[in-house]
Amino acid sequence: MAEYEMESLKTFNYDRPVIEKGYANQTICIDISDFVISVKPVAEKMKDVFIGGKGFDLWLLWNAVNSTTKWSDPENAICIASGPMGGTPVYPGSGKSIVTTISPLTGSVIDSNVGGYFGPYLKFSGFDALEVTGKTSKDIVIFIDGIDEKVQVFTASGLPDDSYNLSAMLTERFAKGKPRNISVVSTGPGAKNTLMGCLNFTWYDLKRKRARYKQAGRGGIGSVFADKGIKAIVARWDTVKVKTNNPADPDSLKGVGKKYSRKIVELDPKQNQMAKIGTTHLVSIMNDFDLLPVNNFQYGRHPEAENIGQEVYGRIFDPGYDGCWMGCTLACAHGVKDFVPVTGPYKGTRVFVDGPEYETIAGCGSNLGIFDPHSAIEMNFYCDTYGLDTISVGTSTAFAMECFEMGLINETDTGGMDLSFGNRLSALEIVHQMARGEGFGQIVGRGVREMKSIFAKDFGADPDLMQDIGMEAKGLEFSEYISKESLAQQGGYGLALKGPQHDEAWLIFLDMVHNFMPTFEQKAEALHWFPMFRTWFGLCGLCKLPWNDVVPEDNKEMDEPAKVMKHVEWYAEYYSAVTGRHVQPDGLIRMSEAVYNFQRIFNLKMGFGQREHDNIPYRAVGPVKTVEYESRQERYDKQLIEKHKVDIAGKSTEEKVALLRKFREELYEKLKDAVYKRRGWNNDGIPTVETVKRLGIDFPEVLELLRVYGVE
Amino acid sequence: MMIRIDGKKHSWREGMTIKDILKDLSDSHLYAVVRINDKHISRPHFEKTLIPDNSEVFLILMIAGG
Ligand code: SF4
Repeated sequence: MAEYEMESLKTFNYDRPVIEKGYANQTICIDISDFVISVKPVAEKMKDVFIGGKGFDLWLLWNAVNSTTKWSDPENAICIASGPMGGTPVYPGSGKSIVTTISPLTGSVIDSNVGGYFGPYLKFSGFDALEVTGKTSKDIVIFIDGIDEKVQVFTASGLPDDSYNLSAMLTERFAKGKPRNISVVSTGPGAKNTLMGCLNFTWYDLKRKRARYKQAGRGGIGSVFADKGIKAIVARWDTVKVKTNNPADPDSLKGVGKKYSRKIVELDPKQNQMAKIGTTHLVSIMNDFDLLPVNNFQYGRHPEAENIGQEVYGRIFDPGYDGCWMGCTLACAHGVKDFVPVTGPYKGTRVFVDGPEYETIAGCGSNLGIFDPHSAIEMNFYCDTYGLDTISVGTSTAFAMECFEMGLINETDTGGMDLSFGNRLSALEIVHQMARGEGFGQIVGRGVREMKSIFAKDFGADPDLMQDIGMEAKGLEFSEYISKESLAQQGGYGLALKGPQHDEAWLIFLDMVHNFMPTFEQKAEALHWFPMFRTWFGLCGLCKLPWNDVVPEDNKEMDEPAKVMKHVEWYAEYYSAVTGRHVQPDGLIRMSEAVYNFQRIFNLKMGFGQREHDNIPYRAVGPVKTVEYESRQERYDKQLIEKHKVDIAGKSTEEKVALLRKFREELYEKLKDAVYKRRGWNNDGIPTVETVKRLGIDFPEVLELLRVYGVE
Repeated sequence: MMIRIDGKKHSWREGMTIKDILKDLSDSHLYAVVRINDKHISRPHFEKTLIPDNSEVFLILMIAGG
């Protein structure tokens, strides 16, 4: 391991508060411009309205920035919080952290939900949320030591740049012989040199004796972190038990937690086997239903998809327990042992790779026309260690590849690289160039939105065509599902607050495969309930996977099986048992509604929360090119004839593409109308005064902002 | 000459497909994916996928995405 030095710049001693019903009741703010560290109390009102996790982050961020703040401005804050249930070891999926900041890709608020131990350790150390503001020219490491009740800021020199080694070294440095007591948040050189940096959050794998990590991937949070000059933030905490979180009713918590854990152990092997294969089962299923993105979302299936599916990864994953938080019986965070990269600085050495998950396989595999499981693993490894979001890397590279294949850019523009679909060495080279901050990779690292302008301005590419095929909305790259055949999923992507990430609403199956929501009103209802319930996980420090990736045997007898109401009821019991605030399932939705609407208004504050910002590229709605139409000709012809009553006899494919586009774009606008109405927003997508009053977020600055937009 | 469907014994015959076993269920429309041993099979392949003797068949109620 490399020689390095760390020098303490500042030590802040504090008295750790007793955790009460899931809350530390204070947050910590570290301004790294002048190393001022302050502790702020959490008022009851803050808990009432914002609950915790993402809610707390948003409130802190709202107060830190103004409407003109740019991502790289010192006042931009990186906020990290778990939530009242975060750190519970008996209820599966209870160790998440939520990170928010002003995104370099979108210019507005981004949030990312991540595993690893950091959020719970931060809370048990005495802080419900951490807010880091300012910038420094030095490389610094922040150490939050809950055991010794002090926060230290170090300057560091000689530490490795990449997250893989850095996480391991800092774990060892601070562990005092107990590496499980440490969680490290870090990024890598890719984050510094692109706008799509991720953060790696570690958890310690006792069996494999190594720091493993999960990623807060979306929206370039890692780039903000690197730009601020932060090398790493480390938390240290001791053994975690149920009573560490001091729940209001430990017996009731243990009761519901054990019930849930046992059910997962019993049912997961009979259902999707996530404890064995993670989310890789989705590859073949998405392929079978024509939903797997292939060649920049042009197609939904490929004959070689089996090569990157669950059977292959099931053999490659290192068997063993892979829970990214203690006691998670779904334990889906798998990894590959002794992987030997064939490119880059780790070429020829054995490494442990955390992943890949479905999104990475689809984004850095099928969507690039690459159907080799090892290439996806290598992309996964380098993206993580360089601190890059695999989804933005995949979707941005896919866009560049399609532009290359269409002749919109050429080998001179790419620095001599053949960027044809399927060229795995070029895809990997792009990632290495991103890390080095050079060549064409640096341009791809600006993301799809900036690439569109650069290609038009510098290479003379057609801006309208690029607008249609460039898979970004609000500046964020799409995650890896084909939404063309599901209007509800188009809304799930386009109406998502932060940009097209599926964590708000994944409705493809319900809509397209099961046809559970044929009417606009039903789609609008789904685009209300699902984003709200999914938001709730991020308020509480929870992972959504145990909610609906394992379902009770009697779920099919329920009125609305997709909601998995039995689990929702258990979550309400769980929340009540921890916080002592008794709530029914509909109360969970109400909690989320307040935070969700506040985030929409936050977008407005940053200039991005109106109807026009919910537009999506036509590639997400229907076939842009004739080849795409022809790949699903039977389906599209049928729709034109039966649904839109068009006589297609004698019509060319170009004409049919244009007709279908007109109908589908109209439908998407109608969907916006229905969803806005259901959410209590006006026709421009802005929450009404009545809505903000109902939700208790009618703060003076909120009402003033609405007034500026003509909402009174 | 036996398979198990969601843990319950079910007779098996040569040439039996997923479509055949779903035919007898009143709620078959709910299943878009079925697992045979460790392999997920989706609806577009139900008709042509043969179920081997001694298989464990699981009817997957929900695919919930990422
Ligand atoms: S289900 Fe997977 S991602 Fe969620 S907490 Fe458990 S191991 Fe982590």
